[in-house]
Amino acid sequence: MAIKVDISPLLNRATNGVRTTEVNGDTVGQCLNHLVKQFPGIEPTLFDKEGKLYYYVDIYINRENAYPGELAKPVNDGDELSIVLAIGAG
Amino acid sequence: MLTKHELERYDRQIMIEEFGEEGQEKLKRARVVIAGGGGLGSPAAIYLAAAGVGTIRIIDRDRVQLSNLNRQILHWDKDIGRSKVASAAEKLRNLNQGVKIEAINETITEANIPQLVAGFDLIVDAMDNLPSRYLLNKAAVEKNIPFFHGAVYGFEGRAMTIIPGQTACLRCVCRGVIPGEKFPVIGVTPAIIGCIQATEVIKYIVGIGELLTDRLLIYDGLSMKFTEFKVKKDPDCEHCGHLVKGE
Repeated sequence: MAIKVDISPLLNRATNGVRTTEVNGDTVGQCLNHLVKQFPGIEPTLFDKEGKLYYYVDIYINRENAYPGELAKPVNDGDELSIVLAIGAG
Repeated sequence: MLTKHELERYDRQIMIEEFGEEGQEKLKRARVVIAGGGGLGSPAAIYLAAAGVGTIRIIDRDRVQLSNLNRQILHWDKDIGRSKVASAAEKLRNLNQGVKIEAINETITEANIPQLVAGFDLIVDAMDNLPSRYLLNKAAVEKNIPFFHGAVYGFEGRAMTIIPGQTACLRCVCRGVIPGEKFPVIGVTPAIIGCIQATEVIKYIVGIGELLTDRLLIYDGLSMKFTEFKVKKDPDCEHCGHLVKGE
């Protein structure tokens, strides 16, 4: 299934400035694994050593917050995932 | 009741159909806390003072540093070393003598927050760190005070309006920020987000428009896009979950 991914600009360095791409997968977790294969540099920012999403990573499916249990959430052909990193500067 | 001077000063916004003299009177009676006198607090305070918000309490513990001046536009070269709230109060009073400015040079803590926000109608989140944002969010929920969130990083910013008990709060949405003590930012980003926060405050006070509630607005200056994400109240939220479960 083709899923569009919108990547936070905070990950620009790891994606060489690529902001959108397509991945395959039936769940958010599978899609993110495919994304990591395309851009291995993003893995340490998204996942801890146990493969869990860091607390500051928010996933949205079609612009709706997928929390909690994001990685297991199913996705459908044509869905759009957004990876948003929480920020706090002012 | 507006004075002749006020009617002339605010003439252009009174002309806005939904606003009118009644809206201006509401602004005049309003009491707003701006937590943070830096990148977000500067534009928010400037535009709320210019709009004629009656009382603005600005809280910040820091002193002006040279590296603040690319974005914290209430502070100028001559202010380096001065307390931010004193610097901010001077500029805001010069901008609009009809607005009462209260400058509080304190660190926001769990102990003093009840006094800092007591008697105020709403809180603008213009902080630069997450723990203080959480303290403010929690106090806003407990005291049922609308809370206007903003945050920035580089060319990216975001904003959300929180009406306690009715909409998702900051803690429902944010479980932590990306690690780091020093964050990149260019001044135009907090300028835009601070103005969005001020817009939301004005709309709330006057009682017009559609608030940015249950929606996280993300601004991406590099691609010049605004994207809206739907958020919802979290029944397990440690700040407002008890209100959600009580529905």
